[in-house]
Amino acid sequence: MSLLELRDLSVHYRGARGEVAAVRSVSLGLEAGQTLGLAGESGCGKSTVAMSVLRLLPRNARVEGQVLLDGEDVQGMSWGRLRTVRWAAASVVFQGAMHALNPVHRVGDQIAEPMRLHGVSGSVSDLLGQVELPARAARAYPHELSGGQKQRVMIAMALACAPRLVIADEPTTALDVVVQAQVLDVLKRLVSERGIGLVMISHDLSVLASTCDRLAVMRYGQIVEEGPAREVIASPTHPHTQALAAAFPTVGDPASRQVTAEDAADGPVLLRAEGVRVDYGATKAVAGVDLEVRAGEIVALVGQSGSGKTTLARTLLGLQRPTAGRVLFEGTELPRSSSGLRAYRRQVQLVLQDPTSALNPRHSVYEAVAEGLRIHRIEGDEPTLVAEALSHAELRPPELFFPSLPHELSGGQRQRVVIAGALALGPRLLIADEPVASLDASVRGEILALLLRLRRELGLAALVITHDLGLAWTIADRVAVMYQGELVEQGTVEQVLLSPRHDYTRTLLAAVPQDQRSTRPNWTSSP
Amino acid sequence: MTTIAWQRRRATVRATWREFASQRGGLVGLIGLAVITVLAVLAPLVTDASGLDVTRATAAPWRPPSAEYWLGTDHNGRSVLLLTWWGTRISLVVGLAATVLSVLIGTVVGIAAAHFGGWVSAVLMRFTDFFLVLPSLVLAIALSTVLPRGLGTIVLAIGVTSWPATARLVRAQTLAVEARPFIERARALGGGHGHVIGRHVLPAVLPLVFVNTTLTVASAIVLESTLSFLGLGDPTRVSWGSLLHAANMHGAVSQRAWWFLVPPGLGVVCVVLAFTLCGRALETVLNPRLKGER
Amino acid sequence: MIRHLAGKVGGALVSLLFVVALGFLLFRVIPGDPVVAMTRGRPVTGDQLAELRVRLGVDKPLGEQFVDYLSGMVRGDLGTSHVYSRPVLELIGERLWPTVLLVGTSTVLAVVLGLWLGIRGAWRRGSRSDRISTGLALAQWAMPTFWLGMLLSLATGDLFPSGGMRYPDTPPDFLSQALDVAHHMVLPCLTLIAVVYAQYLLVMRSSLLEEMHADYLTTARAKGLRDDLVRRRHAVPNALLPTVTLVFLHLGLVVSGAITVETVFSWPGLGLLTYEALTGPDLPLLQGTFVVLAGAVITMNVFADLLYRVLDPRVRAS
Repeated sequence: MSLLELRDLSVHYRGARGEVAAVRSVSLGLEAGQTLGLAGESGCGKSTVAMSVLRLLPRNARVEGQVLLDGEDVQGMSWGRLRTVRWAAASVVFQGAMHALNPVHRVGDQIAEPMRLHGVSGSVSDLLGQVELPARAARAYPHELSGGQKQRVMIAMALACAPRLVIADEPTTALDVVVQAQVLDVLKRLVSERGIGLVMISHDLSVLASTCDRLAVMRYGQIVEEGPAREVIASPTHPHTQALAAAFPTVGDPASRQVTAEDAADGPVLLRAEGVRVDYGATKAVAGVDLEVRAGEIVALVGQSGSGKTTLARTLLGLQRPTAGRVLFEGTELPRSSSGLRAYRRQVQLVLQDPTSALNPRHSVYEAVAEGLRIHRIEGDEPTLVAEALSHAELRPPELFFPSLPHELSGGQRQRVVIAGALALGPRLLIADEPVASLDASVRGEILALLLRLRRELGLAALVITHDLGLAWTIADRVAVMYQGELVEQGTVEQVLLSPRHDYTRTLLAAVPQDQRSTRPNWTSSP
Repeated sequence: MTTIAWQRRRATVRATWREFASQRGGLVGLIGLAVITVLAVLAPLVTDASGLDVTRATAAPWRPPSAEYWLGTDHNGRSVLLLTWWGTRISLVVGLAATVLSVLIGTVVGIAAAHFGGWVSAVLMRFTDFFLVLPSLVLAIALSTVLPRGLGTIVLAIGVTSWPATARLVRAQTLAVEARPFIERARALGGGHGHVIGRHVLPAVLPLVFVNTTLTVASAIVLESTLSFLGLGDPTRVSWGSLLHAANMHGAVSQRAWWFLVPPGLGVVCVVLAFTLCGRALETVLNPRLKGER
Repeated sequence: MIRHLAGKVGGALVSLLFVVALGFLLFRVIPGDPVVAMTRGRPVTGDQLAELRVRLGVDKPLGEQFVDYLSGMVRGDLGTSHVYSRPVLELIGERLWPTVLLVGTSTVLAVVLGLWLGIRGAWRRGSRSDRISTGLALAQWAMPTFWLGMLLSLATGDLFPSGGMRYPDTPPDFLSQALDVAHHMVLPCLTLIAVVYAQYLLVMRSSLLEEMHADYLTTARAKGLRDDLVRRRHAVPNALLPTVTLVFLHLGLVVSGAITVETVFSWPGLGLLTYEALTGPDLPLLQGTFVVLAGAVITMNVFADLLYRVLDPRVRAS
């Protein structure tokens, strides 16, 4: 008998506009000691599947089909039986440990709560030990722990009643690569040591590739491809799986590198930072950085969150004044007056991480793109200029998009609008802060291709800030690695990513989830 | 391009109205307000103001309701119905005027405190917090005692004491809006203070200010009636509060003159309730956080 | 923590100074000539006015008056009441305890009632009982306090005394006195509760409704907790925190309620004293009650903030 079996599961949500199907006839099975990966983009129904296992769906959900836990149908259980099964037979590691933990209770109490409830003996410090946290962490409140620590607490909590099945819903999203690797290791070890069944849900194929035996890919509530993880990733048959796989390129794989030797820019230096330092009170966000971007060049600035890369970007844009050092554009220092800075904005523009929040929800596409034109009182026919910028950003025909509001567009289209808004000013450098991090995997490639095409056609240089080494590998000419406010290494992509010299770069590269597609150089043994 | 913008604005207004109209409480409040406003406007046209004059009162004092005086008479023999009807005017005028003053102060202080940051914000917030904690009635009493009696004084006393709640709300909302990346984008595009406030902050804050206004009117009317009840109102005009002041002074309770006590108070309750219901319904429509989206 | 405490107390001291300065501004500067304001509408001779000016000390230049006023405050001298011809502080001292008794009792009862009904309402949101209790709360919130008091007094007839705090002929032993005071307190207390609990109900209800969608509640349910435990252990403690601050922020409202309720029921507290002072108008007395009432509310708010720190671990750490 399977540990978990979904038979023809369908879930509909009743809403104001009738019923919406979230999951359509999904059938899956999982044995003890196995890990099943469930991949898909946001809204594909993977979280709904997770929640239906313990019947945690909201009241407006209608469920059809069977969810068999150890052969017993969850849908048919009485409330009392359901409460006994919850957490004791199967537990959940929820997405976003930040909100899934109660902020006013100590984490030790929260871990112990299900043990008391289900009458299971055990010790909180043992559980914390299993996820490599010290016993004193039990006395902490959630806000006193880091993101990775909270995620481990969630895992410890999920193990509290020694369930045979654990469902992990995006357990590493919002975590840094290095922390992500640690959390994934903990999960892998627990599966092999305890023989539990694990369902891993993620949008990130590389995370699943490194942990799962079997893999199912979902789209629009349906499973489009299923099979052994290795096979699905190495030779995907469904186009959606192929798009997902391409979105997480492997560093060192020539097939995923989209920059050719001819692209190499040899233009004059456009932007130069000299010994830039930014202090917030006592903390040094940026601690003395020298960086150059040449005309027509794409530079990737890589680092974990908190490394100071966003602060550096804001300083380069003149949105933040450096504590020391200077920023030069074409050899002249950035102006300090607001009118001088305004003129500078026509040269250097910003593309933000999340296009959904980077656009005012009340402004139409036309207004969003025309905003810069109006601020700078740029002469010319406004509709023509807006249309031009939109078609540069590949939104065609542009007039069709004029009246749309941001919420009527897809994530990729929104990011194109943000880029069009920047292009309308005719800048020579784009500073893009995690430009694809919040986009669905299948559209990442398109936006990156757009950046490359803009460079080719308009000679537009770009400084791309990212935590994703794969992204740097895909589009950058040069890479600068930032760690604790300093640039620890910079050079061409091949130099830095294939033969890294600094320990931190090696740590970063080692933390990228390994999959079985390609063999990589062995970094850890380099001198 | 303006036509598109206007079409969309009209569509938004229509959608907002549909959503508002779907809430029974809000609709009841709105109809109530409409009726009360019409009554207040019609008072001088339909009734004879001379009935308010004590010297021309003809009926006997303390008369219970009868066919002639539907709501009885007061201690001077004036019709309570007429007095209550006319009282509507002062209560509404004072409530609205004081609210405009208070919301104006609150909005300016709130946006300034959130937008400019630094010591401006610190000083303004310290100031707002101080007035927020200060019991508003006590301050309003002090102001209306030392200033000459009159409508202007009452409006000033209420307006000056009830703005801090608006200021805090507007500040919080402004901070929330300014933390959104589209503000950063606007700055990166070269937008200055005027652009950011005018194009991004104000449009996002105004719906909330509007909701807050309806709720502020409600409390301003209660405050007006309280001040008048304490004898601090305009002695030359009839308001619901001053009627209750008279009722209390002349022993309506011991006279068991319920007909003199109930109508003015009921007037206050109806108007305040109508404004509150409208405000709450608007709040559910305009404040996305309260919509059951999740 | 210590630094925060010092900051808060420092802030409160600044606020108190503000109050004192505001008292001076309101009663000495704004009226122009306070004596004229005090004798408005009454026939007085120039000599009488001059004498009054000397007695109040308003014949000196403003700067000197302010120094006198401040040094008086420091010594605990709030001036002399014009109507009672007694020190203001002494009058306030006499009237303080009845107000504390009335406001304290009604606040405690109103908080308990309001929070309980608010929690019930939010948990069964949209149910009949929720709609009734919310509607009733809204209606009560719309009611002027004094009007409700007068109606209650009218409706109960001779069941309860219509005013004052005790009958003059009650035996002096503690029990009879206490019972007499309690008997007198029923109506004012009920009035104050009726108006104030509605605030707490609405605040608690919306605060709990906001927590209802929190992810940690799903976690709690997934652990197998019963619904009432999910509510009691997880939702309510989180929702209670913002409510505590609001309870104290609304203390000013309770004070306002006390002024009108005491006026309606002739309860011999600070509220009635304020009313007596404003009918005079007895500016030194009004100034005294203003400073004391505003000062008391500010002090209570400092306590509220400290209490919040003890209750909420998130704030405690920072």
